[in-house]
Amino acid sequence: MSASNNMRSAGRSRWLLRRMEPYLLLLPAMLIVLAFFAYPIVKAVQLAFMHYVLFDPSHIGYSGLDNFKALLKDANLPRILLNTLFWVVATVGLQFVLGFALALALNKKFRGKNVYQAIVFLPWAVSAFLVGMIFKWMFNQQNGLINHLLLQLGMIDKPVAFLALPHLSIIPVIIAMIWYGVPFFGIMILAALQSVPHEIHEAADIDGAGRIKQLFAITIPYIKPTLVLTLLLRVIWVFNSADLIYIMTGGGPANSSDNLPSYVFSKIGYSADYGQASALGVLMLVFLTLYTIVFLRVTKYREAGEL
Amino acid sequence: MPTAMKKKLPGLSRFVVLLLFLLGTLLPFYWMFVTSLKSRLEIYGAKLTFWPKDLTWDNYATTFQASSFPKYFANSFIVSISSGLLVLAVSILGGYALARYRFRGKGVIMLLFLATQMVPVMVMLVPLFIVFGKFELLDTLTALIITYTALNIPFCLITISGFFQRVPVALEEAAMIDGCGRLATVVRIILPIMLPGIVATFVFAFTAAWNDLFFGVMFTTSEAVKTVPVGLNSFVQKFDINWGEMSAGGVLSLIPVAILFAFIQRFIVAGLSQGAVKG
Repeated sequence: MSASNNMRSAGRSRWLLRRMEPYLLLLPAMLIVLAFFAYPIVKAVQLAFMHYVLFDPSHIGYSGLDNFKALLKDANLPRILLNTLFWVVATVGLQFVLGFALALALNKKFRGKNVYQAIVFLPWAVSAFLVGMIFKWMFNQQNGLINHLLLQLGMIDKPVAFLALPHLSIIPVIIAMIWYGVPFFGIMILAALQSVPHEIHEAADIDGAGRIKQLFAITIPYIKPTLVLTLLLRVIWVFNSADLIYIMTGGGPANSSDNLPSYVFSKIGYSADYGQASALGVLMLVFLTLYTIVFLRVTKYREAGEL
Repeated sequence: MPTAMKKKLPGLSRFVVLLLFLLGTLLPFYWMFVTSLKSRLEIYGAKLTFWPKDLTWDNYATTFQASSFPKYFANSFIVSISSGLLVLAVSILGGYALARYRFRGKGVIMLLFLATQMVPVMVMLVPLFIVFGKFELLDTLTALIITYTALNIPFCLITISGFFQRVPVALEEAAMIDGCGRLATVVRIILPIMLPGIVATFVFAFTAAWNDLFFGVMFTTSEAVKTVPVGLNSFVQKFDINWGEMSAGGVLSLIPVAILFAFIQRFIVAGLSQGAVKG
């Protein structure tokens, strides 16, 4: 009698423990995520409504909408928003097209494929700092490789300071960014292509469909969910990325190659105006939230949950 | 035989595409490598050379002897390995929970992890700077290790849970019937099966930490705690860039990640196509 009771209560506590297990296992991850993602967002929103300049510690305090009013008056901002749009569309668009071409070329066995793949995917593993420096050196006015090649081809008569051209210096940075990001799309799309069952193509072969037709009629529709998801996620990543601009042009000349995040970093680094930087950060969050709402509509959320 | 040949040899157009991508990828690396082997005179000389006339290893020697580069290198290793291991520990625990249990709030937790991927670094920099300042952790490797660990956990945890899902539950049940406890089963049977996935996840976290710039720039100021990109960057900001030494430093910093990456890139593609991304 008492033995069975004991067993029942032991079973019950074991059952309870078993129910708590997943939460206990996830606890460290959840605490870290809350501390490092949720808290900074809350704090940034708070800072956006404060006068907070690092070099002026005696005047730290709430300032209402002052930071946002200053942003509205900021003559740089329209240019920077336009740059941000151009930066995202040109980078993601070309990375996608080139990555797709690479993935199609790789979607077949050939000798040396492993070594080849290890080389063409390598840019993905390089630090943005190094990518920025290499391209800065290649686009250098004095003894830069690009200038040398263009001179040889007769396309320019004297070396051009590509990274100091007002309004155009963002283009070399975008070229570097494309080089940097093609492997990501290559890897993701190749993985998707390899998930297309062979039987479908065999059937299409028998029906006499050509390669190009198969690509557009079968392959692309089959992997479309992955393509859309990869593209949409990549937009967020590129929108948030500032390192190459910071390294190659420093946003210059005169902020003409800044995008939103690199402008935030220059606010943090040069003026140490954490309040204004946070207001800009909040602006970024608003854009990202709006984008995500559209994103979830397009992908219908469930697919996003599976990635 | 002809069909077998067709499978082995890529067609002409495929060959051209593959060749162009190879050249396009290699050119910047090649240019950095060649520059690292040139003397200062040759780099800035009137005639641009595609292979050094007087090949010299001086840039490497100076990088190692006359700068804090070895210190940066050691710091980068300490930070990347520690945060990589911490990420693995937390991700294996959480990933197992997501893969093997049904529980209330699972969907919300998944969504939360995914949402972290869109939080801009620029929004996190200042708040974390202030917090680390309060805990007197600024200018320490600890701050970097904690930050990189936190940043990489969401992605790695979801990835690892994908790897757990691919191991058949039946295998785990069989081991438990044979008298293995749950913990022993996971440690002795499941984790060894997942080893390639675990290695790939570690490399991912390692590379992300190895390559970060902005958090390092923000959190560290003294030479003793700078990582490779941060150290080289502060050098660039202060002095005229010496492209020979910069290239040598670049080549050296690339070696560890290039080796790791060569090993794991196959697993990444295989892993993704097996289930992490469902079409």
